[in-house]
Amino acid sequence: MLSLLKIEWIKVKHYRTFWLLSLLYLISLYGINFIAYRIQDARPKKNDMANLLIGNPPFQFPEVWKTVSYMSSFILFIPGLLIIISLTNEFSFKTHRQNIIDGWSRHEFIVVKMLLTLILAVVSTVAVFITAICFGLFERGSNFSIENIEFIGYFFVQAISYTAVGLLFGLLFKRSGIAIGVFFLYVVVLENMLAGLLNKYVYNSGRFLPIETTDNLIPFPFLRNIVNPYLTITDPLLLLVLSAVYLTIYYFICLKKFEVEDL
Amino acid sequence: MLNNVLTLTNLTKYYGKILALNNVSFSVPEGSVFGILGPNGSGKTTMLGIVMDILKPTSGSFTFYGQPGNANMRKQIGTLLETPNFYHYLSGERNLQIAAEIKGKGHDQVDEVLKKVDLLERKTSKFSTYSLGMKQRLAIASALLGGPKVLVFDEPTNGLDPVGISEIRTLIQRLALEGKTIIMASHMLDEVEKVCTHVAILKRGNLLTAGDVDEILVNDEIVEVSAANSLLLATVLKEMSGYDNIKQVDNDFHLLYPPAKADLEAINRYCFKKGVVLTYLRLKKKSLETKFLELTNQ
Repeated sequence: MLSLLKIEWIKVKHYRTFWLLSLLYLISLYGINFIAYRIQDARPKKNDMANLLIGNPPFQFPEVWKTVSYMSSFILFIPGLLIIISLTNEFSFKTHRQNIIDGWSRHEFIVVKMLLTLILAVVSTVAVFITAICFGLFERGSNFSIENIEFIGYFFVQAISYTAVGLLFGLLFKRSGIAIGVFFLYVVVLENMLAGLLNKYVYNSGRFLPIETTDNLIPFPFLRNIVNPYLTITDPLLLLVLSAVYLTIYYFICLKKFEVEDL
Repeated sequence: MLNNVLTLTNLTKYYGKILALNNVSFSVPEGSVFGILGPNGSGKTTMLGIVMDILKPTSGSFTFYGQPGNANMRKQIGTLLETPNFYHYLSGERNLQIAAEIKGKGHDQVDEVLKKVDLLERKTSKFSTYSLGMKQRLAIASALLGGPKVLVFDEPTNGLDPVGISEIRTLIQRLALEGKTIIMASHMLDEVEKVCTHVAILKRGNLLTAGDVDEILVNDEIVEVSAANSLLLATVLKEMSGYDNIKQVDNDFHLLYPPAKADLEAINRYCFKKGVVLTYLRLKKKSLETKFLELTNQ
């Protein structure tokens, strides 16, 4: 296993696109939270009515775990994009063939890419964890607390769901342009549209679509006292089980497809 | 009794409705230089792709030293299939490091094989900056990693200039002398004739023939004769024996002989004795191209 990862490391180590995107991604994780911070910071702080509506300040512990996980999840398509590039590069250079010819089994090749989805999800989660701690400690009147820290775990589930879907799309479409285009449109627009329609017409079932399921693990964290009565909160345990089912399906399709078809 | 390195049994491959390989069976003996000959689209690469597990056969099977193919067996074979496949953004050296890692070999051989194909000075340049010939040579270097006993080359001289082509031929002949088994696909007949000991000929997915190169690519001989008196010459030649066939082309006659059977002196003496003085007498080897077209057009 380690030798497989070592080879993947040689492939990635000198790939500038990968590192540039990763760097911008980490900066953006901070950036998107900073934008949210500036917006909520403009609230009238001495107004009791406003405080009642808003609830606990979103960037204070323990709310900060929820807030940072929620905000960061908006750019989770970037790790998905990195996976797509890593896989479709192999297809366009035909190095997926060469790796097999040189002596990898098909199974080994696709398992390494699956490991890569896991690693990117872990790295994203660590980055979000650190970001949340920084914002929490920086906020005045905030005392460190691990209450709500499960949201970092939910973020991890969400992250791996995005990277795994990226892998699946890369494998289905083979060429980077079409894979990236369809992936973006699906996770940002198409599934939300479909979810909206299903929620309206088919017993609120849109929230169980693949990406929606993990998205809903971290509900909208702002203005809790206003929006709570109107939100359908789904049992996180149900969502976690469903996420596991979806992940199993993605990985199963990837494995089978790569092991059976002509390369 | 020689072992067979590779044995194909009834390999068939359909791409959708298109039959790319039809029930192909043959064996590659150990130590041979085995040429797979056929025009473009005859199924050569498809066949090698199946052996390398990048394509799945519709039916049929193959064995490698008597065992079904697997990843460990591929680690022991040096292969160049169709086009050089490398990471464009990595240097030649790093690309070979990846191949060496996959094969479970150390990096220390990388310089050695780069030197063999004369790429040592460009080893730190990105693959994307290489010329077509350099890419091809890098692919050959990659196949040589780990000193495999069996080498598979698919169109190894593709994109090379005449000097490069001759270098690769010398390399292949040297590898053969070292006792390595070489399987080489090519559409270039002279290439196969110059370096191969065995040959299999494919046409539109069908195996036409397979065996010893001396038996399959034998050159028929043609003797061209003419004389001032064509009519008399015709009668005389018809009485002569030893040739397979006679054909009149303008005022010349073409006598077709089996390989190494034409004896110009005897023909000349025979005609002179019968009262015909030849004005033209020439031995021509039937060109291999003609032979190849004949084989693949039947």
